Amino acid sequence: MPERRKIVGGMFLLTAAGLLLLVPPLVHLFNHDFTVFGVPQIVFYLFGVWLALIVSTGVLASWLPRERSTNGEEGEG
Amino acid sequence: MLSADFVIATAVAYVGLLFVLAYFGDRRARAKPKSWLNSPAVYTLSISVYCTSWTFYGAVGNAARSGLEFLTIYLGPTIVFVGWYFLLRRLVRISHLYRITSVADLLSSRFGKSSRLGVLVTCIAVIGIAPYIALQLKAVTSSIQAVAGSSEFGQGSLKGIDDVGLALGVAAGMALFTILFGTRHVDAKEQHHGVVAAIAFEAVVKLTALVAVGVFVVFIGGGFEGIFSQAAAKGIVVDTSTSFDSRWLTTLALSIAAIVCLPRQFQVTVVENSDENHLRIAGWAFPAYMLLMSIFILPIAIYGLTVMPEGSNPDMFALTLPLAAGQNGLALFAFIGGFSSATSMIILESIALSIMVSNHIIMPLVLRFSPPQYGDGQGVSRVLLVARRFSIMLILSLGFFYFFFTRDSDALAPIGLISFTAIAQFFPALLAAIFWKDASLKAVSMAILLGFITWAWCCFLPSFDSVSPAVSLLLQEGPWGISWLRPEAMFGLEGWDPLAHAAFWSLSVNILTLTLGSLVTSPSALERIQATAFVDVFRRPNLPQRNFVPGSATANDLYFVAERVLGEQRAAALFESAARDSGVDPIGFEPTPEFVGRLERELAGSIGAASAHVMLSKVVAGSDVSLEEMMQMADETQQVIVYSQELEKTSAELRLTAQKLEDANAQLRELDSQKDEFLSQVSHEVRTPMTSIRSFSEILLDGHSLDDKQRQRFVSTIHQESLRLTKLLDEILDLSALERGERNWQSQPVDADAALDRALSVCDALLSQKGMRVDHGDRAGRTMVEGDPDRLCQVFINLISNAVKYNDAAEPVVRITSALRSGNFVVEVADNGPGISKGERKLIFEKFSRGQRGAIDQTGAGLGLAISRQIVKRMKGTLDLAPRPLPGACFRLRLPVIRS
Repeated sequence: MPERRKIVGGMFLLTAAGLLLLVPPLVHLFNHDFTVFGVPQIVFYLFGVWLALIVSTGVLASWLPRERSTNGEEGEG
Repeated sequence: MLSADFVIATAVAYVGLLFVLAYFGDRRARAKPKSWLNSPAVYTLSISVYCTSWTFYGAVGNAARSGLEFLTIYLGPTIVFVGWYFLLRRLVRISHLYRITSVADLLSSRFGKSSRLGVLVTCIAVIGIAPYIALQLKAVTSSIQAVAGSSEFGQGSLKGIDDVGLALGVAAGMALFTILFGTRHVDAKEQHHGVVAAIAFEAVVKLTALVAVGVFVVFIGGGFEGIFSQAAAKGIVVDTSTSFDSRWLTTLALSIAAIVCLPRQFQVTVVENSDENHLRIAGWAFPAYMLLMSIFILPIAIYGLTVMPEGSNPDMFALTLPLAAGQNGLALFAFIGGFSSATSMIILESIALSIMVSNHIIMPLVLRFSPPQYGDGQGVSRVLLVARRFSIMLILSLGFFYFFFTRDSDALAPIGLISFTAIAQFFPALLAAIFWKDASLKAVSMAILLGFITWAWCCFLPSFDSVSPAVSLLLQEGPWGISWLRPEAMFGLEGWDPLAHAAFWSLSVNILTLTLGSLVTSPSALERIQATAFVDVFRRPNLPQRNFVPGSATANDLYFVAERVLGEQRAAALFESAARDSGVDPIGFEPTPEFVGRLERELAGSIGAASAHVMLSKVVAGSDVSLEEMMQMADETQQVIVYSQELEKTSAELRLTAQKLEDANAQLRELDSQKDEFLSQVSHEVRTPMTSIRSFSEILLDGHSLDDKQRQRFVSTIHQESLRLTKLLDEILDLSALERGERNWQSQPVDADAALDRALSVCDALLSQKGMRVDHGDRAGRTMVEGDPDRLCQVFINLISNAVKYNDAAEPVVRITSALRSGNFVVEVADNGPGISKGERKLIFEKFSRGQRGAIDQTGAGLGLAISRQIVKRMKGTLDLAPRPLPGACFRLRLPVIRS
């Protein structure tokens, strides 16, 4: 399992990449006039990126070492 | 056809179910803090209150009208949750530590616990959310009407009630429900476990309902491909060529801001969060929830456009498609799903807003206009609850009025985006609050205010276009005919999408004011403290906050304040635990500054940071004013610390110097005693020959009776003694020169073995005179060392002559070997004399030390070995005694070989 700092770096990269993949000019690369099973290519692309982001976030979060539980009730007497 | 009465009855029954859920959820959370209500799943589901009837109905309509744009509303939040580690985790940590209750509280607390900023943010939020509430009312109203249809039977008791009346009824019902739901008591930390449980349940209902409709549509439409191909056959295609314009970027940016700053989202994501680790799950699970919600939206929209008659409202496709197919049960389920999404939003949004209103507007007023000693212990709690109930009514009324004025506009999504743009005005301030220490109160207040004014002008006002001719005229010609102030073409920026235009101007003004203003203004002391506490929250997380001067408040005063806000029970529990922690009796408890800080946080959890600060500063002497003094005190303390550190450093240096001096002194004393010893030895050595010279010369002077022979002997003795003296003095000079290194010293490569041979030949006469046999051992052969050749020869001669002199054996033998051992030239001179006794071994290299045994004539001054050792030392070698191969002594000399 990679070390914590690298995972955090990966999460940052993922966030930035996610943002870049969803805005022009990168979306234009996948916005062509053809369909897959009748569905426009761009729809497949957007949902694909979305799903990839979800899965990667889940994987990275499960790798990240757990922190001390920060229960908000602490110190309340 | 479903009847309106039946639908309304179902909705009421559903609300009843929610109420029961909330009630038991609350009880369960109280009884068992670690129940499933505290699980990441419930947390994630409660966050999906983000998906309102805007999603359920509006997204379908949006997809039907503008294609893919509806996706940005979910992609933006996805980005925020993918990066949960950087923004949300920080917000949650800060809110836990400082008992933040709302986004207004966060900003007011961060910027010097400013009441004014809290009021500003609250007012903007209340006004900005009004269109959003109106959207929900509109959606619920439209959905009831869509289900009821226009038939006589369907209308039921709704006959004669228009949509305004219906919306009023819905708003009133929602207000009642929310008041019953969310304001039963003032919570310690504004966590509403019961409400969260109900919201989570609603999240499941709306997801299931939308997926059910989606699956149904895909089924009757013949799969995704079928739906798209049927639509294409009718000339309906999703036009994506212009999807990714400025509007795409705008809605994406607005939704990113909204998922963090919307009052209800801040409430569920940050305030209601009970464990930071829940974010790990929510980070992927909430985007997954939104993905599931969105997956059927496009097919529903396309299929609706294909099969529904021209002119039907695309916002209601999720409801009208099942109805048109005669699926009443599914339609009812869809209605409940849509109703669910609207109620959850209205409940949470108005609870979150009412907390803001009561904490930031009403509490400060109550505090200002009431004497501190007013009320019975529960006074403040009661005021808070009443304030919250009125705020809920106010918020729903505002929503209703907005609906009333804009009821002619048909689409849902654009109304929501108006709210998003208003709420996005908080986002730059929020980012600055937790990442930028230099952001100042003045700049942030001004930035939010200017952003809000721009929003009101460019975004809010134009939404009344259809109902007000004055607004319509204003849009076309600008105020007083000033065309560059037209709300949708500011400074002549024409041809832009109105939303992108409004978002661009309001956020640009906002960000520019915030950054520039922060650079030119300087924050107050309290702001600086809070800035460090917020921005460095991960660096030093549990620093106790101490904003008050110690010892200036009695436990009684504080208890009174606590009782007013927290109620008798919690106040007593708080004080008892504090007394227990400090190990004293509760009666004799003296409040510490840490305790006052903790009390402030507790109060902040109920009434907001600014109010808590004001309240405590009424009883604790020296709050704001002496805070400056405290900063000064802290500065002075800091200076004293620095000064004492310097003193410490200086004294350490002094100690070191003293130590060095002491060492030097000891060395000097040692040298002094060595010198004394040397002098006494020299005098002793000189005295002996001098005595004999004096005696003999006296005899010679007086000696008339001496014969020539005797005279001759005496003179020769005197001569010998003076020779010995001269030799002694020569050697002393030699040694002292060597020790001081003053003598001419030639340093050159020398063949050491040749020097040994030379020494042997010099000693040849001496050896043969003594009849001594030289035992030649192994020889190293030509070996080069660095040094003075004559001096080296002198050392060898000294060693050999010693072996001769101190040998009393019958057959004296001297054994000489030389060898190369690990880079050293090693010479051993051994004899079969009496050897050197153990006691003498250490001494023989000292000056004036002579071996006691075996010496036949002790003519030497005892300096030979000392001189030899000095010479060898200068040649970087060693000279010492070695284990003997023969019975006598064995001297070993080592010199480093140079590589040629």
